[in-house]
Amino acid sequence: MSSSSPHALTAHWKKFLAAGVVAMAVLWYFACVGVAHHENRQALSILVGSLFWISILIGMLMLTMITRVFDAGWAPLVRRNWEHLIIALPVVILLGVVPLAFSTGFRHALWDWTNAEHLLPGGHTVGHDPILQAKSWFLNEKFFLIRISLYVLVFGALVTLLRRWSFAQDTDRTAGHTHRLHAVSAVGIPLSAVTLTMLAFDCLMALSYHWFSTMYGVWFFALSIRLALAVTVILTYKLSNGGWLDGLLNQAHRHVLGCLMLAFTVFWAYISFSQYFLIYTANIPEETFWYNIREIDAATGLKSEWWSVSMYLIFGFFLLPFLSLLFYRTKIVAGRLLTVAWIIVMGGLVDLWFNALPRQVYDKSTPEGFVVTPFLTSSLFLDLLAIAGFGAIVFALFLSSAAKNETIPVHDPRILESINYHE
Amino acid sequence: MNERNERIHGVACTFRKVSDVFHAAEKVRDAGWKNWDVHTPFPIHGMDQAMGLPRSPVPRLTLLGGLTGFTTGCLLTWYMNSYDYPLIVGGKPYWSVIFPFPVLYECTILFAAFGTFFGQFIFNRLPRHNHPLFDLPSFARVSDDTFMIVLEARDPQFHLDESRNFLQSLGGQEITVIRD
Repeated sequence: MSSSSPHALTAHWKKFLAAGVVAMAVLWYFACVGVAHHENRQALSILVGSLFWISILIGMLMLTMITRVFDAGWAPLVRRNWEHLIIALPVVILLGVVPLAFSTGFRHALWDWTNAEHLLPGGHTVGHDPILQAKSWFLNEKFFLIRISLYVLVFGALVTLLRRWSFAQDTDRTAGHTHRLHAVSAVGIPLSAVTLTMLAFDCLMALSYHWFSTMYGVWFFALSIRLALAVTVILTYKLSNGGWLDGLLNQAHRHVLGCLMLAFTVFWAYISFSQYFLIYTANIPEETFWYNIREIDAATGLKSEWWSVSMYLIFGFFLLPFLSLLFYRTKIVAGRLLTVAWIIVMGGLVDLWFNALPRQVYDKSTPEGFVVTPFLTSSLFLDLLAIAGFGAIVFALFLSSAAKNETIPVHDPRILESINYHE
Repeated sequence: MNERNERIHGVACTFRKVSDVFHAAEKVRDAGWKNWDVHTPFPIHGMDQAMGLPRSPVPRLTLLGGLTGFTTGCLLTWYMNSYDYPLIVGGKPYWSVIFPFPVLYECTILFAAFGTFFGQFIFNRLPRHNHPLFDLPSFARVSDDTFMIVLEARDPQFHLDESRNFLQSLGGQEITVIRD
């Protein structure tokens, strides 16, 4: 466990980096060709792919800080892996969201509100939209770009501090680092909460800028933690079979992760339902259209394929993991927990698709003046490529960080408590 | 079991160290005892396994309570809004699963909590106002610095002299017969 002999796994980081660079090249090529032909779906793949990992990494950043603040005894063993991973958070924002937002072509293609010439359902343009004018104090390009830069800066600074002092403890064995990390986390939690809320507003909610939901930030947080926990379960399982957690991870660690997965499954359902319920009850057209285009095909009045996607979210992303995780044995038997974790990762992706993809596209040939973008298209494969590409970069950074630093926080004051953790 | 045993609750035996009582519990478990218990001043992790205790059946009553609550909520809202006095509120249907959902999950939670609370009452055989162990002078120290194993007379394996010798062989210190 000394820094001079890193684990054999870490040697693979260059392969991951190479795969990530190739995937980025392919993705940006498709996105540029798409925008040149006035198509935004390819650029949307980059947004979805980066947001998938941003969401996971934000969840891990929050879990890192929450376990610091609460001094969680089980955490150090698992948290060190989060610390290796979260360095990828500012990088993924820089490689995905930043170029999309800062290049005028991509910005206009993805964020309709930035393009004054964009045609809305009904035939008038964004430039003449009174709803946008009322929101322009927030939705203006200058402030938008400042906000995007702030996400990189805030998350970058937090991630750097959380990693620096935790790694410093490995060599200088000072307990003071733990207190310093307490303080950083106590400030970092509310700061990250505001930052991730704004990020969800800008990157997802503003894709249909007429719509607004005050629950959106909390929804994104719940989704992030769920995805982060699921990826943690998968990753720690992998690392305890031939990785640096070999023989260290026990049933109680799985149990605590399983319990958290159950809690945040319920929390996600609570938030998602509350958002739907408030909009359903208030029945204001400015809000209801967002759910209408995700349920009904306006031309025929029948349920659209987006309705099937929402049913999948209810039964596949909530009910199935919820009912499975209620059972004690699901939380302690590695194979079962792993299955639920994969179900949550899949569901999280579908939830992102559900939030990012459906949009009203102006079409004067229909009586409603618009068509809704379909779900099942070949572009879903491009989304999967984007997820694999950004994932390769995330794991390249993870492994290279694990190669340079301890994979176990050997001098964390609670490391023995974490290794001997029991139910 | 002979006549004399019927008035006996069991045999108690004290231990001074956690490791002693832990290993003694494992031996009692391996000897196949069913009606026996370990009393300690603080929770000892792993004691459930050392005693061979199964998982608590309380969660089943929690689930049952939750399902009952959900059904009750459905019936309640359907009966009142859609059957007994059909009323349109805010342009919503008489009954659907969406608008009364807060009622449904609140009922689920309430009844699940009832199931848990009364479930642990039932399985802990509460309320109970007295217990033969309370007459034992050394039992008070079980909440301070002593550990105790009690073999109960209702276990089919129980035989006063043999059980007493068995406890002695486990390294118990003070062995007492508890009378009902």
